[in-house]
Amino acid sequence: MKRHRFDIGSLVNEEVKRTVDLSTHLAKITTEVLLSNPGRSTVNSFVVALEPELAPHLAFIGASGQEEKDGSLELKETSLKGQSGKFFEVQLLSGLAGGSKLRLQVETVLSHVLRPFPTHITQAERQLVVFQGNHYLYSPYLTTSQTTRVRLASKNVESYTKLGNPSKSDEIIEFGPFQDIPPFSQDPMKIHYENNSPFLTISSITRTIEVSHWGNIAVEETIDLRHTGAFLKGPFSRYDYQRQSDSGISSIKSFKTILPASAQDVYYRDEIGNISTSHLLVLEDAVEVEVRPRFPLFGGWKTHYIIGYNLPSYEYLYTLGDQYALKMRLVDHVYDDQVIDHLTVKIILPEGARNIHLDTPYQIDREPDQLHYTYLDTFGRPVLVATKSNLVEQHIQDVVIHYTFNKILMLQEPLLVVGAFYIMFFTVIIYVRLDFSITKDPAAEVRMKVASITEQVLTLVNKRLGLYRHMNDVVNRYKQSRDTGALNGGRKTMEAEHRTLTNDISSLQARLKVEGSDLADKVAEVQKLDSQVKELVCRSCQEAERLVAGKVKKEAYIENEKSLASKRQELINRIDSLLDAL
Amino acid sequence: MDGLTDSGHGHFNTKHKWRTEFSGCNYVVKNDTVANHMRVVSLSSFLLRFNYRSTHHLTSNGFYEFLNWFDERAWYPLGRIVGGTVYPGLMVTAGLIHYVLNLLHMTVHIRDVCVFLAPIFSGLTAISTFLLTRELWNQGAGLLAACFIAIVPGYISRSVAGSFDNEGIAIFALQFTYYLWVKSVKTGSVFWTIGCCLSYFYMVSAWGGYVFIINLIPLHVFVLLLMQRYSRRVYIAYSTFYIVGLVLSMQIPFVGFQPIRTSEHMAAAGVFALLQAYAFLQYLKDRLTKQEFQTLFFLGVSLAAGVVFLTVIYLTYTGKFSLSLMRYLCPPPRYAKIHIPIIASVSEHQPTTWVSFFFDLHILVCTFPAGLWFCIKNINDERVFVALYAISAVYFAGVMVRLMLTLTPVVCMLSAIAFSSVFEHYLGDDQKKDSPPTEDSSDEDDKRNSGNLIVTMLMLMLLMMFAVHCTWVTSNAYSSPSVVLASYNHDGSRNILDDFREAYYWLRQNTDEHARVMSWWDYGYQIAGMANRTTLVDNNTWNNSHIALVGKAMSSNESAAYQIMQSLDVDYVLIIFGGVIGYSGDDINKFLWMVRIAEGEHPKDIRESDYFTPQGEFRVDKAGSPTLLNCLMYKMSYYRFGEMQLDFRTPPGFDRTRNAEIGNKDIKFKHLEEAFTSEHWLVRIYKVKNEGSSRTSSFLRKARS
Repeated sequence: MKRHRFDIGSLVNEEVKRTVDLSTHLAKITTEVLLSNPGRSTVNSFVVALEPELAPHLAFIGASGQEEKDGSLELKETSLKGQSGKFFEVQLLSGLAGGSKLRLQVETVLSHVLRPFPTHITQAERQLVVFQGNHYLYSPYLTTSQTTRVRLASKNVESYTKLGNPSKSDEIIEFGPFQDIPPFSQDPMKIHYENNSPFLTISSITRTIEVSHWGNIAVEETIDLRHTGAFLKGPFSRYDYQRQSDSGISSIKSFKTILPASAQDVYYRDEIGNISTSHLLVLEDAVEVEVRPRFPLFGGWKTHYIIGYNLPSYEYLYTLGDQYALKMRLVDHVYDDQVIDHLTVKIILPEGARNIHLDTPYQIDREPDQLHYTYLDTFGRPVLVATKSNLVEQHIQDVVIHYTFNKILMLQEPLLVVGAFYIMFFTVIIYVRLDFSITKDPAAEVRMKVASITEQVLTLVNKRLGLYRHMNDVVNRYKQSRDTGALNGGRKTMEAEHRTLTNDISSLQARLKVEGSDLADKVAEVQKLDSQVKELVCRSCQEAERLVAGKVKKEAYIENEKSLASKRQELINRIDSLLDAL
Repeated sequence: MDGLTDSGHGHFNTKHKWRTEFSGCNYVVKNDTVANHMRVVSLSSFLLRFNYRSTHHLTSNGFYEFLNWFDERAWYPLGRIVGGTVYPGLMVTAGLIHYVLNLLHMTVHIRDVCVFLAPIFSGLTAISTFLLTRELWNQGAGLLAACFIAIVPGYISRSVAGSFDNEGIAIFALQFTYYLWVKSVKTGSVFWTIGCCLSYFYMVSAWGGYVFIINLIPLHVFVLLLMQRYSRRVYIAYSTFYIVGLVLSMQIPFVGFQPIRTSEHMAAAGVFALLQAYAFLQYLKDRLTKQEFQTLFFLGVSLAAGVVFLTVIYLTYTGKFSLSLMRYLCPPPRYAKIHIPIIASVSEHQPTTWVSFFFDLHILVCTFPAGLWFCIKNINDERVFVALYAISAVYFAGVMVRLMLTLTPVVCMLSAIAFSSVFEHYLGDDQKKDSPPTEDSSDEDDKRNSGNLIVTMLMLMLLMMFAVHCTWVTSNAYSSPSVVLASYNHDGSRNILDDFREAYYWLRQNTDEHARVMSWWDYGYQIAGMANRTTLVDNNTWNNSHIALVGKAMSSNESAAYQIMQSLDVDYVLIIFGGVIGYSGDDINKFLWMVRIAEGEHPKDIRESDYFTPQGEFRVDKAGSPTLLNCLMYKMSYYRFGEMQLDFRTPPGFDRTRNAEIGNKDIKFKHLEEAFTSEHWLVRIYKVKNEGSSRTSSFLRKARS
């Protein structure tokens, strides 16, 4: 954003109420101003200023009108000629007409302004910090009346500046009221007090959001934590820490991280594995993780961990045709009153996302896009990288990423897998079916030839046996119907078919003999047995004719038939066993 | 045939040792798995961390950089040449898999590859065991053998996920090499033999146990010659194997010229020469008369013996190779116990007890002699091999616990053969044999059938119990990451004691990057891997005097120890103390080994007897020896412990591990300062105060950074 010089109008701060909250490791300054325009012309904007000493610590500044609820106003950084410090131009929604007044609220959050003093303490000592600020409101305008209320973390105050005889009750010190303060007035305020609240700082966090169009958003945060309070001096005694409740009172044992309500598969780990000292609590509107580092954090100690989870994409990903919009928090809650020194956000979009456009709630630094390769990627997923320094809780806001994505590309990965398997199976098929050997093995070839011939013999022989069974049926039917014509017809077809089959088998037998296989002998034996079977079948046929003609008695026929059948069965069994041996 | 004990450098630098043995008494805490998420299967145990660290180095810096890696973070101030002193097979395998997967855009972390390498290779082991057993017996036995090796505890111990160990891939290489060897002896084809050589090369690159192969195969050939089973196939197989295998094995930097220098490899060379001579004689035999042949034979044999004798004398004299007979006549532990206490101090190097045979092999240990008998009864070339394999492996497994691993596959194969034969006999389809079942024999048949049924049922029951045992052992003994302990409350809920990682992570995060940590060598790899700090000694116990120096520092009084620590630039001292939770594997229980090892190198300053009471007891209470009560290890372990009352029934300062009230409750340090103690006091870290004298070291530190 470009800084531009701004000409301040002539406004007046009437009734200023400042509240300086020093109860945590942050300094949160809320200023309520009744702004009046004594001039004639309408003013559309005004300037908020920050002292030059505090300016580098500024994490967040925001202004809102008192009347409209949630009417946050737009801020733009600017500079003033001949004045040091930081200045922001605030655009009013509707101009402030001459002679009218407006109630406004400005919120400022400063990080790392509470300086531990002494800088090194032992395990048994309490942590004291110094805050150095300004008694007055630092403003380019004249202030008619001002009060300042300071909220501390505890009753124990070592010292504080006594401008205007402030009153102190428990954790609160009240300064003022001060009257008619000229513009850019400064008067150093110094408070030295006990503050054992967790001085926890995220020195760096990398938040990776990986979007999958298959329904999942994976979030992973890599966090470096540091205790930025007074350094631990001397030994750390576990005995004292366990036995005395006020030992190491400023150390940090654990804190709570609030994840989105739909977070699943939460993991909490570091380089050497899972950290077993955490607890997960699923609430109605959030998932609460009690994060306990492996060891308690004392002043100056640091730790490093990774926390990650999955989210269903339907809650965060919006689509219209090929247009997609991802609405996610740019940074999420890690612990209450968090301070992030350095944030890196990486958003990994699906492969093939184009026309990417980022809508951020506040200014962030974009770095060149990267490509990320993971499972089944061919040309890489676009990665947006953004960084920002000095963030606090107020920065937990949504970012919107618009992009276009051709839905056909969803099929790319499944098709890739299908294709790979297809190629694999195809190669195996080719390999198995074709002969790649450079030498010829005649024995194997003969074996294969013989096997195929035997196969044919088997089918033919089985067919022939089928013929006999059919003939049997024909005979039985003849016995009932006494239709000689049918019998003769059946016999004739059987004879004909039998002849062709037998011829086929003998030709195959000849081929087997050519190949030099000893199976030829077995086939010959089958043929021999078969001719006997055939004979038997013919005999039973004749017997039946004789029975019908009345030439034999029924009992004798039955007796005869029985012996014929058993003989036949025996022969067929022998054929079967021969076939099995083939 | 002393294959597996070690490489020929004379000291024991190939292996990474587990930890000093302790005499555990009341082990309140039980190891258990803590994996509440699939992704946190961590690399278990102590030494695997080193392999992981080297693999990580390999993947991030490339192969050549890995071969040249000089690790200055270990063995301070000596450093260690890692590239030339490890078997790179494991790291290269994992690195290669990782590389290929990432080439295909499968973004698998190298850690995950390392974690799942052992299970993958155990699958391959099962396949190669199947192939080998099929060659030896038949397909059915092969299947049984594959089933056995898949679940047998003796092998599971090295193949659970997270066990990233040389042995894990080496057993596969071993079995596969043997399969290819059997195949090449059977076929006499150069193709199979070259395959065998490549597999052998892989084995050499993976594990020092390759010496087992290079002795077993010549032994096989030798026995075949003795049994008059010489054939052209054996000649082709062995000649090819010896020459190609020799050349390939010398390509591994760590092995180098050992195959032609050290006595472990001489058997192979001797058999090679013998085989050539034998083949030559066979050739002559066809062409000469009997009389001529006998004269020639006698002459040739005496000439050869003379030449070999003179060569050995000459080479030993000029120091080209060492013929340390002593090492090979004694079982290693006995030899080591006399000469190097550090070897004896390792729990893995103890002789195997019967219990652990049964624990690791269960029913197989009973059935495998039957399999061996079956093999010997129907002997052929390859069954000679498996018989020799079995006999030598049994011997080595009896000598040392860790060599149970080489016994396990052969036990699985032979048991499978035994079971398979029994089943074939009793389950065979005998209706077919006497196919027309005659009426009168049906009674007898029934009887036999019921007999068959009983035998089959019994066998199946044995196998079932075996499976149950395997599951139980696997879940209880072998799937626990030993860095995480768990205890159980009265109501059965579990407490996780993650103290090791707590302390190591504290070291990693909150000490200077170049801080030097002194600890007993058991924790060296863990500190290097998890805390990423410089250590003085570690599990690769190659320098005994350095370890002895650390032992001396631990067992001296504070001021003497301070001098040693100053001379070694020690910044932190880490000890393990189990007195609060009753963990018996702590440093006080290992302390006597430290004293013994220190005494070995510094007999003037340290005497083991000083640490015992006049009655010869090792006591930590008031009756303990004053030397013990004032030595550094004692003071560090019990610092401020005297104030701590764990229980209302016991006095303050009651040590739960040793069930004694400590004797020295008023411990004050002059040169040390408590830096960190983990939640259950399991790990205690002390900072060595700098008193101006170590200006040089801080200067060095600056220069280095």
